[in-house]
Amino acid sequence: MAEVNKAQVSEKKRTSPVWIVPAVALLIGLWMLVDAYRSQGPLVEIQFPTASGIEPGKTKVKVLDVEVGEVSSVTLGEDLKSVVATARLDKEAEPLLREDTQFWVVTARFGVQGISGISTILSGGYIQLAPGEAPGERRAFVGLPEPPVTPAGTPGLKIELVGDEAGSIVAGDPVLHKGYPVGRIESAKLDVGTETMRYAVFIEAEYESLVTSATRFWNASGFTFNATADGIQLEAGSMMTLLMGGVSFGEPAGMRPGQSVTDGMSFKLYPDYPSVNRAPHREVVEYVLRFEQSIRGLSEGASVEYRGIPVGRVEDILIEDVSMAGAGEPIPVLITLQPGRLFLSDDAAGVAQLRKAVSNSVTLGMRASLATGSLLTGKKYVSLDMRSHVPRQSEGTYKGRPTIPTLTSGLDGLEVQVSELLQKINEMPLEEFVVSATSLLDDVGGLMGDPAVKQLPASLAGTLAALEQTLGSLSSDSALQEQLQITLEELGRSLVSVRLLADTLNEQPNSLLFTQERRPDPVPPEGSR
Amino acid sequence: MSGVNPGAVGTAASQGRVSCHQCLKLSDKTETKCGLCGARLHSRIPDSRERTIALTLTGALLYLPANALPIMTTIQLGDPTESTILGGILLLLHHGEYPIAGVIFVASVMVPIAKLLALGWLSWSIAGSRGIAHHQRTRLYRMTELIGKWSMTDVFVVAVLVALIQLGGLLEIRPGPAAVAFGVMVVVTMFAAESFDPRLIWDQEGPGDG
Repeated sequence: MAEVNKAQVSEKKRTSPVWIVPAVALLIGLWMLVDAYRSQGPLVEIQFPTASGIEPGKTKVKVLDVEVGEVSSVTLGEDLKSVVATARLDKEAEPLLREDTQFWVVTARFGVQGISGISTILSGGYIQLAPGEAPGERRAFVGLPEPPVTPAGTPGLKIELVGDEAGSIVAGDPVLHKGYPVGRIESAKLDVGTETMRYAVFIEAEYESLVTSATRFWNASGFTFNATADGIQLEAGSMMTLLMGGVSFGEPAGMRPGQSVTDGMSFKLYPDYPSVNRAPHREVVEYVLRFEQSIRGLSEGASVEYRGIPVGRVEDILIEDVSMAGAGEPIPVLITLQPGRLFLSDDAAGVAQLRKAVSNSVTLGMRASLATGSLLTGKKYVSLDMRSHVPRQSEGTYKGRPTIPTLTSGLDGLEVQVSELLQKINEMPLEEFVVSATSLLDDVGGLMGDPAVKQLPASLAGTLAALEQTLGSLSSDSALQEQLQITLEELGRSLVSVRLLADTLNEQPNSLLFTQERRPDPVPPEGSR
Repeated sequence: MSGVNPGAVGTAASQGRVSCHQCLKLSDKTETKCGLCGARLHSRIPDSRERTIALTLTGALLYLPANALPIMTTIQLGDPTESTILGGILLLLHHGEYPIAGVIFVASVMVPIAKLLALGWLSWSIAGSRGIAHHQRTRLYRMTELIGKWSMTDVFVVAVLVALIQLGGLLEIRPGPAAVAFGVMVVVTMFAAESFDPRLIWDQEGPGDG
């Protein structure tokens, strides 16, 4: 073998390239660690009433069905009455955590509004995150017990309805305008303090402008049957609202255009559409009418009309006051007048105007009376009208409320008048009258039978002939006529001078004794206006 | 020691000879290529200790994610459950499957750790003059080489499960990132064992030690 092929035996002392392998492994490992650390998002604590459906390491946190985190642990809350789910969110989800961010557990739900969360039957529930919009950040939240009908941050209008009865309205029911759903009832709550139902209502952004301060909401659920002074009415909503319930809104006819509304504004929820038309106005002025007659036929909600124009309604018949009052006390009826009905502004200024107008009108003779509205139902309404020949009266007060004086009227008034008339007729001495009339007639009969009376026509004819002769001498061209004419003119002139004398005596009685002094005419002093 | 005294016998290197890696023919150490098969001649595996240490280190590094990350994901009715190696063992213990838990524990936890420790110790011990217990060390090396590959059981189990259990939406098993780390770890440690030259153990036995 050639010398060149001989190996140089050497002890190598250089770094082996094999070190690349652990270096690469280390780098990948480090990169993974750094990446995991960097992509690690915020840790949030969500308090739930129960841990049902939440499993640590399994339950995801989702936004719009996109996974943004996972529940890492579930522990009992400090008060031991709730659970706290700790979830690790992705870094991208950090801006979603705001003051008003909402969390709730999504599980399968079956309701009138449909079935939701079917997918969670197999996969288990997840926690839904509804991104907030408030400026402040937050890491600890209280989860909602039920999914909100409208997640936070959805553009739209949020208002409140206050109603007297829950009716058939529950959260999730539609809010309709002209029968088309434009919003939803978000929640229904009974306010224990005021005993009213409070509904949170959401109107989609698209239809926000439909709601103004002139808008009125009414319960469109089911159907209503009403017998009032206006007759009998049957109202039914659409099939959907008939089954599910719902709230309708609209502007009653003749309303002044309202201003746009802001979030959180409160509206009254009317029980039905007719009641909206009866009292569509916000501001009302209360008056008490004290009727001294039967108020049969007058029911709550009956209209109050001024010369036929509805201006208010009967609110209540203060029964408790009746029972307390002594016999014969007038029955107090509470009515409300609406400035809006009288084309006054629907606010405090309108109220003041109305009060002043009523006060003036009462002084000028405005009185309230009961009138029959419908002969079919016998329902009555309150009529306000100006009456002449009434004793001067002004507004009084009844238990802190102003009163409008009343007149007894209608059939009751008629009854009183008829009975008074009958009383007068009764009091008349009819029998004596008849007796004297009979004797008078007897006398007349006797007189007529007298032969002298029978000859009367003949002598009457003679008298008439003589009269004719006398009148002939009084014809226009006769001497007597001329004499009479002159005498009458003479008399006329004398009367004028007598009147002048009488006037002078009237003004100055002393002129008979003293000579008349002429005084200058009085002139009003200058400069005072 | 039944006449196996390295001091007395001497190694090929001490005799100025080189053994071919491929055909084991002894050549003179001045030769660069084997006269029989033509392979390159090295007295010892080149950079044996360095390579072993590097690969063992890689294995050790990979062992961390292999245990920390889930080795497989069971998706039962759309509900995914991730399980790590230790988590799986604990689950099996919980269900009373002690033999299977034992097998997996031995194959997936004990053996890799023992192997990493053994290779680390062997690499450390052949440096300098820590020439003790050559026989034990050699036996340890043989065991390491023998049982090392059985750690792949775990990866095989995952591979088989993933291939077999695909019941559509009902049940599905997917491999996790730990399976890759674990598999690579086993392969790397096998390479580490391969690159270790056991003759280095005996090289420490100086000619005059006997």
